[in-house]
Amino acid sequence: MSSSAENPYRVYFVTWIALLVITVLMLGAEALHLPRWFLVLFLVAFMFVKAAMITGNFMHLKHEHPHLMLIVVVGILLTSAILLAYITPESASVLQKTVR
Amino acid sequence: MSSHAATLDAHWGGGVSPFGATWQKTMMWIFIVTDALLFGGLLSGYAYLRMAGTVPWPRQSEVFSIPFIALMTFILITSSMSMGTAVTAARLGDRKKALRNLLFTIVGGAAFLGCQAYEWTHVIHQGARLTGALPGSELGALGVPVHFPASFFVLTGFHGSHVLSGLIILIITAIRSSMGKTPAQGVEMAGLYWHFVDLVWVFIFTLFYLL
Repeated sequence: MSSSAENPYRVYFVTWIALLVITVLMLGAEALHLPRWFLVLFLVAFMFVKAAMITGNFMHLKHEHPHLMLIVVVGILLTSAILLAYITPESASVLQKTVR
Repeated sequence: MSSHAATLDAHWGGGVSPFGATWQKTMMWIFIVTDALLFGGLLSGYAYLRMAGTVPWPRQSEVFSIPFIALMTFILITSSMSMGTAVTAARLGDRKKALRNLLFTIVGGAAFLGCQAYEWTHVIHQGARLTGALPGSELGALGVPVHFPASFFVLTGFHGSHVLSGLIILIITAIRSSMGKTPAQGVEMAGLYWHFVDLVWVFIFTLFYLL
């Protein structure tokens, strides 16, 4: 029998600890004055890890029907990607014009 | 009818739930997706203002107390854990445990809102306004861009309003649970919303306070 079947609450405790550890790591990285590109990569990667843990374990999305998972994950990620794809070149162009 | 068409019909023809969930849960998830898009838009707007601005963004630790923000994060993550425990307890029929954890979550949510009120007061005293930093104020002396206080108020304000509405939902759920009027699914719906509030904070915490 799996440990989650023995103690159904264990997953929340383990996720909570993992989220706290990741948060401490992120705070540490921010305080260390690491190279900017590395800091951005590090923080964004861990941000998505935390988001996956919350949706997967706390919101039980990983146990839901694949159709539901698809609508949530694709819906959010695709729209965010489209938004970013539009604003990044636009903001760069605005910045260039302002500086000039 | 081919087997492929039969499968499609079984899942999308309206006879069987295509998401394998009750309509309440499906609607809750769709609501969460749309609400996530709202925050996606707000965060994109913030990214635009920050990337297109010529005045450099201040180092966050000069304006905010990062350990205090970390404490707020700790409170919210902890309340999410207790909410998850409440949902499972309700599903297993352990009403006492569910109620105890719901109350713990409510205390956590209230503590978070209290911290946010304190932080807003502090930042306003530093001279932050929705339209920019007051000239001659502490923030004005730092030379923060006009959009910095606006981004702060809009992002944390929208999130705080979600925490407040989540708190109201939790209080109603707890009262109804104590009277035996809320089924396990009701607790689960409240839980989904609460976890979503936690999820949004993960993004705000990283993108606004740390980066």
